[in-house]
Amino acid sequence: MNIEFGPELESFRREVAEFLDVAPTPAIREAGKKTTSVFAPFEQVMAWHRILHAKGWAAPAWPKEYGGTGWSVEQRYIFAEECRKRELPPLLPNGLQMVGPMLIELGSEEQKRKHLPGILSGEDYWTQGYSEPNAGSDLASLQCSAVADGDDYIINGSKIWTTLAHHSNRMFMLVRTSKTGKKQEGITFLLLDRTDYPGMEIRPIIGLDGFPEQCEVFFDNVRVPQSGRVGAENDGWSVAKHLLKHERGGSAASPAMLHAIARIRETARQTPSPFGGVLADDAVFQRDLGELEADVMSCRHFEQLAISGHPLARDAAYPSVNKTMNSELSQRISIMMTRVSGIETVPQQLEALVVGSNVAPLGDDFDLIAMPYYLNTRATSIYAGSNEVQRDLIARTVLAANR
Amino acid sequence: MDFNFTEEQVMLRDGVARYLDRNYDFDARQGLLRSGAAWSKETWSQFAELGVLALPFPEEVGGLGGSAATLVPVAETCGEHLTVEPLAFALALAGGALVAAGDNAGARARLADLASGASVGAFAYDEGRGLAAPAQIAMAATASGDGFTLNGEKRLVFGAAQADFLVVAARAAGKAGDAAGLVLLLVDPKADGVTFTPFRTQDGRSAAHVRFDNVKVAGADVLVRDAHDVIVRLVADAILLLAAEAVGAMSALMRITGAYATTRKQFGVAIGTFQAVAHRLADMKIALARAHATLTYSTALAEAGRLTARDVSVLKAQVGKLGRAIAEAAVQTHGGVGMTDELSVGHYMKRVLAFESMFGAADYHFRMIGQAA
Repeated sequence: MNIEFGPELESFRREVAEFLDVAPTPAIREAGKKTTSVFAPFEQVMAWHRILHAKGWAAPAWPKEYGGTGWSVEQRYIFAEECRKRELPPLLPNGLQMVGPMLIELGSEEQKRKHLPGILSGEDYWTQGYSEPNAGSDLASLQCSAVADGDDYIINGSKIWTTLAHHSNRMFMLVRTSKTGKKQEGITFLLLDRTDYPGMEIRPIIGLDGFPEQCEVFFDNVRVPQSGRVGAENDGWSVAKHLLKHERGGSAASPAMLHAIARIRETARQTPSPFGGVLADDAVFQRDLGELEADVMSCRHFEQLAISGHPLARDAAYPSVNKTMNSELSQRISIMMTRVSGIETVPQQLEALVVGSNVAPLGDDFDLIAMPYYLNTRATSIYAGSNEVQRDLIARTVLAANR
Repeated sequence: MDFNFTEEQVMLRDGVARYLDRNYDFDARQGLLRSGAAWSKETWSQFAELGVLALPFPEEVGGLGGSAATLVPVAETCGEHLTVEPLAFALALAGGALVAAGDNAGARARLADLASGASVGAFAYDEGRGLAAPAQIAMAATASGDGFTLNGEKRLVFGAAQADFLVVAARAAGKAGDAAGLVLLLVDPKADGVTFTPFRTQDGRSAAHVRFDNVKVAGADVLVRDAHDVIVRLVADAILLLAAEAVGAMSALMRITGAYATTRKQFGVAIGTFQAVAHRLADMKIALARAHATLTYSTALAEAGRLTARDVSVLKAQVGKLGRAIAEAAVQTHGGVGMTDELSVGHYMKRVLAFESMFGAADYHFRMIGQAA
């Protein structure tokens, strides 16, 4: 066994650290501190995206020939770790981590030429049109239809939980092109090169945290070119499954979690305990924080084994185990944050949370984000296939081993 | 980074697994316990022959130059077979203390016998309802001549009544809670004033409470003075091997329970098709993945000599907590039959529960983690 990243990787870490220490603007840093979701404040995170792109570091996981960094898995982990340490806003995942890798693998040459450069530069931002009001965890029941007409499709129906659709100029979506046979077999994957087609309407949805992160998108006879289809007609389910793999696969979660634990501990040192002294010295608090940290450490151990290619992470259930574990850990961290903040979580501070706001937070930064983070993080066990669906998938691998 | 075992480790593990598969299935194990034997002498000599007993010791004393961490894959396999042999206790604790004694002649001789399988040692450590940390050791070693006189009781000493030598952790100075003032002493189990109350443990091992009444220890048998840090290291090694056994037991519970949920039918279908049962299986698998990851990572840290007290706490607490969760889920999934002595499931449960109760329970270690910056 060898636990070290090795000297070359440590020098890589220094190179990354040097850049990250100077490159982000104050607004980008502020956006990082005010990030209460997987999705950082849009304007600043896209500014950070463009800075990283200029450096050639926007797409760590992409192959070099498509403008990626060509970094190894270990290098990517180190990069993510150094970014989290500095509370920098994580780049938005839809283009870089979802559509991009999918197109590289499954897109036509023309689609790659047309879409990849905009994803890489941050000029384009993609929203995901999967869920519908009546198709969430049971995604294959989706009804939004596309009917072929000449070189086009005519789309009718609606999509929901289209994250940041109101900021997006591109959309990838699943549509129903056939109602015969198995429901998975009548689905087609489409790329929309605009989000302002006639007949298309985007309505933001205010979330529990008070912000319009999610949207609903309505399609009323929207005519889009068939050239945006990925794969064959009615074969969109396999494209979507491929892409979901990327959505669930993120495996550099522990650095941000450890950072959050450190902040919780630091805040507890300044918080009086009702039993005397400070909360950080309270036995029950120590025990509970210790359990949370131990669970984060196990998550970290799992991540490190995964990036080294250990067999434990090659199990068919790995993406679901990872998604379930990470989402539930994030939720517990958010609970611990609100527990430490106490009544400071009660004031609603929507204006102070806006980057560049001239409204000062009522408490400190920690108090400002504790409750919005808690509220937003309820979504982690719902999105990307609810944790109930993930547990079904994990159980299937247990039972399949015995058939 | 590389978290794989070496080819030699894999070969040794596979050799042990082949032997245990043939000779140590659950029925054979239960037969062994019914016979009244403390453990299988044949299995212990097989371990000697395969090199297991010599593996963790330095070459200059007849060992193979490994460490406790080198034995992790073997210990996992032992856990899967629910073996009752005192691997961690005799090798990591008693043997480790002999190694720490340096060129002490008595220690050297016994180490050679331990590594060859000619003799077995026991480590007398716990007191009262158990020690969460070595500094809590209270049993008195009173200076007398160049040696000590022992008075008091040690609890839950594994293999004590069968041991050819005892290593006793005692307090020569200070009070319980002090790191300073601890000693490790070599004691002949047949010495005047040593008495045993032997018993079988819940998980099938053999142990005893040991009383010491004015037991004289010669200066030559003082293995380590100012022994706190040594004991901490020995306990960490034992935790690593016992955690590996526990994770082996957890893997077996996962496998057995998955198979049962696939074949057992109620309401006309396999019970694993019910979502409430399926999700319990999923939680078992998540728990096992986490425990396995932490064991593997901790092993790599130990090999690199970088396993801190905090890392040991993470390992001990996680395997203890997750082991209990897996065991309870396994019994629940098996229903009534899971409650019977006849099935292996309950015996695996007792193995992981015994691990959780020793060397500080999860709550203690969680608090230690929560406390440290």
